[in-house]
Amino acid sequence: MSKVSVLIIEDTPAESEALVKVLTQNNYAIAGVATTFSEALALFYKNTVDIVIIDVFLNGIPEGITFAETINITPDISRPFVFLTSSNDRQIFERAKLTKPFSFLLKPFNELEILYAIEMAVEKFYEQSNVFLSDDLDTVLSTDSLFIKKKNSLKKVLIDDIVYIEVEERYCNIITEHEKFVIMISLTKISELLEKNKFVKTHRNYIVNANKIEEIVLHDNLVILKGNHKVTLSEKHKDFIKKLNILK
Amino acid sequence: MDSEIRKIALENKDKADFYKAQAFFLEKNWDSTLVYSMKYLAHAGHQELADYCHYFRAFSFKNKKLLQQARKEFLQISKNFRFYYKVRLYLGEIALEESNSELAIHYFKEIENLPETGNYDFKRGVVYHNLGVCYLHQKKYDQADAYFSKGAEVMQAEKDTISLIGSYMNIANLYYEQYKDNIAIPYFEKAYSLSKKIKNVELKQNAALNMAVVAENNKKFPLALTYRKEYESWRDSLNDQNKVWAIAELEKKFTVKQKEKEIGILEAENKLKIAERNGFFYSSLLLLVLFGTGIYFYRQKIKSNRIILSQKNKLDELNAAKDQLFSIVSHDLRSSVNALKTSNSKLAESLECKNFEALDKQLQSNSAIAHSSYNLLDNLLHWALLQTKQLYFHKESVHLFSVVQQMEFNYKPLMQEKNISFENSVPKALFAYADLSSLKIILRNLIDNAIKFSRENGKITIHGSSSEDFCTLTVEDSGQGMSKEIVSQLLDESALVSKKENPEKSGTGLGMQLCLSMAQKNEGKLLIESEENKGTKISIQLLKANKNE
Repeated sequence: MSKVSVLIIEDTPAESEALVKVLTQNNYAIAGVATTFSEALALFYKNTVDIVIIDVFLNGIPEGITFAETINITPDISRPFVFLTSSNDRQIFERAKLTKPFSFLLKPFNELEILYAIEMAVEKFYEQSNVFLSDDLDTVLSTDSLFIKKKNSLKKVLIDDIVYIEVEERYCNIITEHEKFVIMISLTKISELLEKNKFVKTHRNYIVNANKIEEIVLHDNLVILKGNHKVTLSEKHKDFIKKLNILK
Repeated sequence: MDSEIRKIALENKDKADFYKAQAFFLEKNWDSTLVYSMKYLAHAGHQELADYCHYFRAFSFKNKKLLQQARKEFLQISKNFRFYYKVRLYLGEIALEESNSELAIHYFKEIENLPETGNYDFKRGVVYHNLGVCYLHQKKYDQADAYFSKGAEVMQAEKDTISLIGSYMNIANLYYEQYKDNIAIPYFEKAYSLSKKIKNVELKQNAALNMAVVAENNKKFPLALTYRKEYESWRDSLNDQNKVWAIAELEKKFTVKQKEKEIGILEAENKLKIAERNGFFYSSLLLLVLFGTGIYFYRQKIKSNRIILSQKNKLDELNAAKDQLFSIVSHDLRSSVNALKTSNSKLAESLECKNFEALDKQLQSNSAIAHSSYNLLDNLLHWALLQTKQLYFHKESVHLFSVVQQMEFNYKPLMQEKNISFENSVPKALFAYADLSSLKIILRNLIDNAIKFSRENGKITIHGSSSEDFCTLTVEDSGQGMSKEIVSQLLDESALVSKKENPEKSGTGLGMQLCLSMAQKNEGKLLIESEENKGTKISIQLLKANKNE
């Protein structure tokens, strides 16, 4: 589980400093603070960025929107973002609104508001609404990672790092090579994970990352995974081995 | 017979066609008689009247010398007709005129055989005469002679001079043709002498001619000459008469032409009048339309004037309210900045004296002043944006619990200062469909008010509830509450409350106005429940978010 990294595009140092302070306090990593459009682009491509916070006006011109538009054009690099604005200028907002999914925050804002805005941006971007606010869900699934809400903050787990998942009713135990933690995720998303071919079901309760399989002990009905994790293999789900063969 | 027809006509006055037919018949206007009798016949069922009509028609045809038609009509008359004998008589006359003497004799004999005593409207002498003529045609001189003389007798008895002359002449001719000149001549003479007594020029002429011929044949030329001359003179007079007739005809034609001309002129005048009348009509219509449109536009103008006036009044009111607001706001700002100024100088003083205990309190009060001034300015800004329709508005699904949480976060220090406990009991599953920024403004104002009007150690609770279409947030405080008048004033859109009963605390009402407008923009409602010294409950009703969105 790693920190979610945030790129801040803000030209007023006082405000960016406040933002950095709030975000670091809440266990976010800062990928960088950009004050201009070009700087922002450079930082965006250089570092891993999960979320972008964009001030609409950079040095008096709505360059923030331009940036959002730029990253929105290419779907692969596109990221969730939050607009910050101090004016309720309508025309600018009409333009900003076109950069969907659109979330914005009016200045001045307090700590809770920015955290809420970030969560909303992630939900909207990955089209999985009402996850972080509900009592029985806390995980949003993106193409390569899981965003998990822990207290006021978001955490990120790369899907490739997951060794196996143990499903227990509403909860899932996520086991990576070094960590083990509980998330709440809907079953539909679990099956989405399975569809991507990276994961296989070895048992009613176990979903295993196919790349992490070290050995399959058929007579013991065991699958041995990296980090010496052992998972039960049930009769019903043995079929996946054939699939593996084909893959090999 | 005429009197009889008149009687019948009077009895049947309601049958217009018959009445007209008989009237024309009696006036001897044959054509019209034909027309109206035909009309009557076309639909008449009454046998007697129909007989009369046929009779009219037959008689008319006979007089117009249309013998065939006349005979046809006569034959259609039923035998029960009162004047049936007349029908036979006329049929006889028609036969005679067509030189069918045998048939004529047949008819005439029928008439002759009628009993003498009956009241018959015909001249027996004429019948005898006609019979005579028939026999004359058949060259049965004896019978002819007998009838002629019989007829002459009757005529003499009836003093029918004209017929008598004809009769005499016929008798004379009869004898003359048989070369019985001795008998013939006295008849001629008788006729001639009788003709002198009458005015019928034609008869006179014929009598004179006959005398002339007789004289000639007897080689009495001088006498013949005188007769001839007489004959000529009568003929001339007849011609004169004809000329007079022709002139009369011409005159008639002329007068007719004159009349036609007059009629033409009258018609032209009529046309002119009609044209004039139409012109007048159209021009008056046009005027009326013009008048109507004029009135319409006038009324329209009055209406728009009224609207403009009311709008002007409203504008004036609003302007006055704005001015008032402006002065209140600037006054508030001035006093709070002034308070900050004095507080700051005090701060500097205590810093100099190193009075750190006081420093902390002063700082806190400073920040409180700044906070309230900021809120005022923020409301003012949003109000201005709302009024100028520049406010960005974007409705989406909003998680009410976290919004309340976020808003509460700002007020934590203020509440701690007053030792107010705060509870957010909004259900976490509650989502409203609203514009987030405006909802935040509303909540901020409500919480701010709740804190402002709460006593120390008070309690503020925010509840949430939902019905089918709406969800409601209720901000409840245990503060000083408001009277009903103030509540109604607060909810009145046009009135900005400027009551300064509690100068420190009651505001301009701007915040409340803003909340009302924002709630309305969110298609929601704002409800106030308050009791003095017990507390206030303010509820915001919002649309519920559709979970599928």
